[in-house]
Amino acid sequence: MSVTMLASTRNDPPPKVMATIKAAPTPAAEVVSLPPRRPGPAGAGRFKDTLKHLTATVLPPALTVLVLLVLWQIAMGGNTGGLPAPLTVWTESKQLILDPFFDNGGIDKGLFWHVSTSLQRVGIGFSLAAIVGVALGVLIGASVWAHRGLDPIFQVLRTVPPLAWLPISLAAFHQATPSALFVIFITSIWPIIINTAVGVRNIPSDYINVGKVLRLSPAEFFIKILLPAATPYIFTGLRIGIGMSWLAIVASEMLLGGVGVGFFIWDQYNASRISDIIVALTWVGLTGYVLDRAVALVGRLVSRGTAAS
Amino acid sequence: MTEKLISRRAALTGTAAILAAAKAALPSGAFAQGKGPETSKARLGFIALTDASPLIIAKERGFFTKHGMPDVEVLKQASWGATRDNLVLGSGGGGIDGAHILSPMPYQFTAGVQSGGKPLPMNILARLNLNGQAISVGNDLKNVKVGLNSAGAKAKFAQLKAANNPAKVAMTFRGGTHDLWMRYWLAAGGINPDTDVSTIVIPPPQMVANIKAGTQDAFCVGEPWNGQLVNQKIGYTACLTSEIWMNHPEKALGMRADWVAKYPRAAQAITRAVMEAAMWCDKAANKAAMCSIVSGRQYVNVPIADILPRLQGTVNYGDGRTLSNSGHVMKFWADNASFPFKSHDTWFVNEDMRWGVLPASTNRAALVAKVNRADIWRAAAKDLGVAAPASDSRGVEKFFDGKVFDPANPAAWLAAQPIKRMA
Repeated sequence: MSVTMLASTRNDPPPKVMATIKAAPTPAAEVVSLPPRRPGPAGAGRFKDTLKHLTATVLPPALTVLVLLVLWQIAMGGNTGGLPAPLTVWTESKQLILDPFFDNGGIDKGLFWHVSTSLQRVGIGFSLAAIVGVALGVLIGASVWAHRGLDPIFQVLRTVPPLAWLPISLAAFHQATPSALFVIFITSIWPIIINTAVGVRNIPSDYINVGKVLRLSPAEFFIKILLPAATPYIFTGLRIGIGMSWLAIVASEMLLGGVGVGFFIWDQYNASRISDIIVALTWVGLTGYVLDRAVALVGRLVSRGTAAS
Repeated sequence: MTEKLISRRAALTGTAAILAAAKAALPSGAFAQGKGPETSKARLGFIALTDASPLIIAKERGFFTKHGMPDVEVLKQASWGATRDNLVLGSGGGGIDGAHILSPMPYQFTAGVQSGGKPLPMNILARLNLNGQAISVGNDLKNVKVGLNSAGAKAKFAQLKAANNPAKVAMTFRGGTHDLWMRYWLAAGGINPDTDVSTIVIPPPQMVANIKAGTQDAFCVGEPWNGQLVNQKIGYTACLTSEIWMNHPEKALGMRADWVAKYPRAAQAITRAVMEAAMWCDKAANKAAMCSIVSGRQYVNVPIADILPRLQGTVNYGDGRTLSNSGHVMKFWADNASFPFKSHDTWFVNEDMRWGVLPASTNRAALVAKVNRADIWRAAAKDLGVAAPASDSRGVEKFFDGKVFDPANPAAWLAAQPIKRMA
């Protein structure tokens, strides 16, 4: 808490965040806006409160989805051969929607199995990206020379699309699985590096001075000041990164084939089953949403409320 | 292991013909004495196309198991490019050992063309099918009567080129069979595929959509895409590839040469299984069962109705022409469909030289001798007790435009082609 208290009194300029990256809120603003702990009403009152909260969070998106589906149905209803309307998706992909757990052997499986296989690949690739990305981000945030040397290279490399990384990683690894994981890794690492670096560079000078006054060793400085101060930025980077890692799944599973939602989408594309692709995309979207929430939650816990939710 | 022995014994005692074959093989080979394959495993790739049926059926109907290869995996590939990449990796690198492949591809890889930088020696163990592809064009070519003769399109393509927007003609892999059929058809009508149009590589499902969007003018691909274009009324079938060259070779079973060298008996076992599957696929009584297996989500992943009619020789071109019960069908076994004729491979190598995919200095005979393993097919046929063609050459081949290919003199064929790109 001491760190955040300091933040509210500091008078540094707000950190500059790159235009391409979702701006992490400045610690100062976040502290001011921290809501006071709600007094806990007991029994029915509390239940009513939760209900109200649920209505406020679930109803708007549900209504939006409903309206969009109706509009989509009206726009595409009479159209055959083009984008299927929601009701067409329902009739064509009923089995896929209703039973995500079927397993007819081979790659003919329910979407749950496809998504969970891909999730493992994303898990490995993204974890590596998180570790390496935070380390590199701290390095280029803390050292001016590392920044000068590496930042331009990173800015160029991060624009390379996932599919273009596939032949490059294949040529480098001569192994299918590492190549596929590398594509996920390399796609998701850039926002992590860049956000971490921005976070480290924007540690308020007050904190650094406090560190000097207390004569913290470099290790103590790293753990007690640098990491907590940069945490909100790191988690913003991680959240963008986990979204990016799903972008890479189709590219990496094009090589691996077999079970996985990325290959599933490509396979349905090859078979011209647009309805199945739409169902799969819904799964990918929802999984991505859950992952994003999970990373945000971890961020909130780790940073004690300063990371964006 | 016991199971394997039993199934092998069952296979050997099953029919008198096979017994006779076993006897016939006794003096020459160790096979009939029951020496099984060196490995029971292999990873084979396939692309979701009807002509992958012999591999799929060999797996699904247990022919691999019957020949002592119960652990053969048949794995779907994303594209011909992915098939190539996984072959380069090999099963040791998480890739595949062999594949359902466009017949020219093993030659390209062995020669070090399009194989990721260095040569990848491959062998062709069997042909998988004859015929069964088509060339499709947009409806706007109907009024200039583009059909088997492509000449009608010449003026329109010239117009497009003058407008700095050359016609786009799509196929599935540079130097692959579809590329060669398309180029042959265009050149026969006086259209130079290299200068009068631009040829592009496109994934099959994109082909119909691209014609619809008007960004593409013609394509050559296997079914069901040609049929789908007709059903959606946005284009029509100009010609079937079997009209260009009746009973033309198409896909092959290609394997990495190092795998074949390491496991010669397993390579022969795979060949036997695929040959038996090809026989099974070609029986009229099995067509419906084959389609229901092959059309499954795990394999080709299309409605049965999309593949069955054209397999039975029923074709609606979409411009008024129709065929029913025609000879224009995909063949898996009939007319020596499964035998990898060296004369055909010579044509593919020659034609890839014609279009600059393989260098003009390529030694055709040496390359064909290196890749084509008709000897393995012959040994497998002996084991199965089926007849093999007398010669590795099917002889002189006739094309729809009157050109004749004499495998003994491929250079004469090249000399007779007015349109070519040779360095």
